Amino acid sequence: MKKILNDPSTYAEETIDGLCRAYPQYYKRVGLERVIARPDAPRKGKVGIVSGGGSGHLPIFTGYVGPGFLDAVAIGDVFASPSADEMATAMRAADGGAGVLRLYGNYGGDVMNFDLAGDLAEADGISSTTVLLADDVASARLAEREKRRGVAGMVFAFKIAGAAAENMLDLQEVTRVAQKAADGCRTMGVALSPCTVPQVGKPTFQLSEDEMEIGMGIHGEPGVKRGPLQTADRIADAMIDPLLADLSLPRGEQVAILVNSLGATPTEELFILYNRFHARLTDAGLAAGFTLVGRYATSMEMSGASITLLPLDAELSKYLRAPAECGFWKV
Amino acid sequence: MTIDSIRQAIGSIFRAMEAHHQELNELDGKLGDGDLGVTLLKAFTELERLKGGLPEDLGQALMQCASAVTKVSSSSFGTLLATGLITSAKSLRGITAAEWDKTAGILESVVPALLARGKSSLGDKTVVDALAAISKDIAGQSDPEKIAQGAAAAVERTLNEFREKPAKVGRARIFGERTIGMDDPGMVALQVMVNALT
Repeated sequence: MKKILNDPSTYAEETIDGLCRAYPQYYKRVGLERVIARPDAPRKGKVGIVSGGGSGHLPIFTGYVGPGFLDAVAIGDVFASPSADEMATAMRAADGGAGVLRLYGNYGGDVMNFDLAGDLAEADGISSTTVLLADDVASARLAEREKRRGVAGMVFAFKIAGAAAENMLDLQEVTRVAQKAADGCRTMGVALSPCTVPQVGKPTFQLSEDEMEIGMGIHGEPGVKRGPLQTADRIADAMIDPLLADLSLPRGEQVAILVNSLGATPTEELFILYNRFHARLTDAGLAAGFTLVGRYATSMEMSGASITLLPLDAELSKYLRAPAECGFWKV
Repeated sequence: MTIDSIRQAIGSIFRAMEAHHQELNELDGKLGDGDLGVTLLKAFTELERLKGGLPEDLGQALMQCASAVTKVSSSSFGTLLATGLITSAKSLRGITAAEWDKTAGILESVVPALLARGKSSLGDKTVVDALAAISKDIAGQSDPEKIAQGAAAAVERTLNEFREKPAKVGRARIFGERTIGMDDPGMVALQVMVNALT
């Protein structure tokens, strides 16, 4: 393991300490727990939005706390769920009396703990709703959508739900808008090399020098196809084909597109992929109405990329373009 | 059943976990991440530490126990334990002394709560199958000793019944047929707890 660290057991802890010190205008620690909130949280009368999950995916999750994004986040060790107690603390920190939306990725441990956190918060009189991201098309067939994992689609969902809450929509409306965004997102990834969880010390999987795996999950979960490394255009086709098939959009529609590095892949290579994505969208009669290219949802130093598509209507488009800022990007 | 019964039960289970947590880790390690024993040891060490300060109100006491469990464990068994405690707390709110014959009914209410939280069904070869068997077997019983013995027998029977069946949910599901012949680690954990009370 070759990493910049002091102690593997305090990796997550030291990351969030540094994050709060670097950007105090966006992030503050809540108590002694691994919970981060906006410095002005809770905002009275505004629906609070809370997320959470394991460390190792920055800017997901903690990075997206900020005006127009999330209000509070509970974070676990690398690739491990935070505790229900930390999630409940995040919910309390986010609740301004208008209720809390729990918006996060569909992983068994996170779901169980966030549901339990809902019970704990309810005992304190906090009402809450849940919207799960299940955008990874490689993880289950369309007929079993509810089994899909949540990946980079979270970026669009955080942005859209955050803007809806900032516009002072009520809990039911923020939840509806967030659900629409989550339902629309489709993501496909490709992995070229693994990452190492600091507390484990060994790579999460093995891929030989000339291999890639299409559809691999962000924690190294098995994908749909392992094979020889292809050219960028052919990789792009293998990534976008299942998304277009899954969405089957009529010509003339607008989509938001996120081309995301899993960590180690340089932004240059994302733009090389983007050329092909752009051509394929144009062929399908689709226009990119909102584009992000860069590191938005990572998996430590894994090399590889993902593409996320979200069909846009006027409402989603408006909330995507609404002002928002966090330590990593702003609109 | 009073707060002293709960304190006593915590003490007995804590000592059993000290003795058996390694076995549970090893069993769990065959199917999962091997942290079941340590999860339970951490949970009951914390409960043992705070049991003296638990309030007389049984509902409040169990709610505090649930909250304590969530602080020390984010693994799935810890989450199920906390969910069971919260569900039990709902039936005992405002009560400082409950009749023992309520136990079966409380466990019966815990079963669907755990199934919902774990997104599982009865018959999936999980700890909930054993809990459901306990609640059925001890119905009508009002003697705490007989309840504990009935519970131990019910868990034993459920382990025997499911040993030759495959696990259908959770991480064990991935191992499918290989789980045939193996005891479900969650059921074994429950056995350790229940046996501690006999």
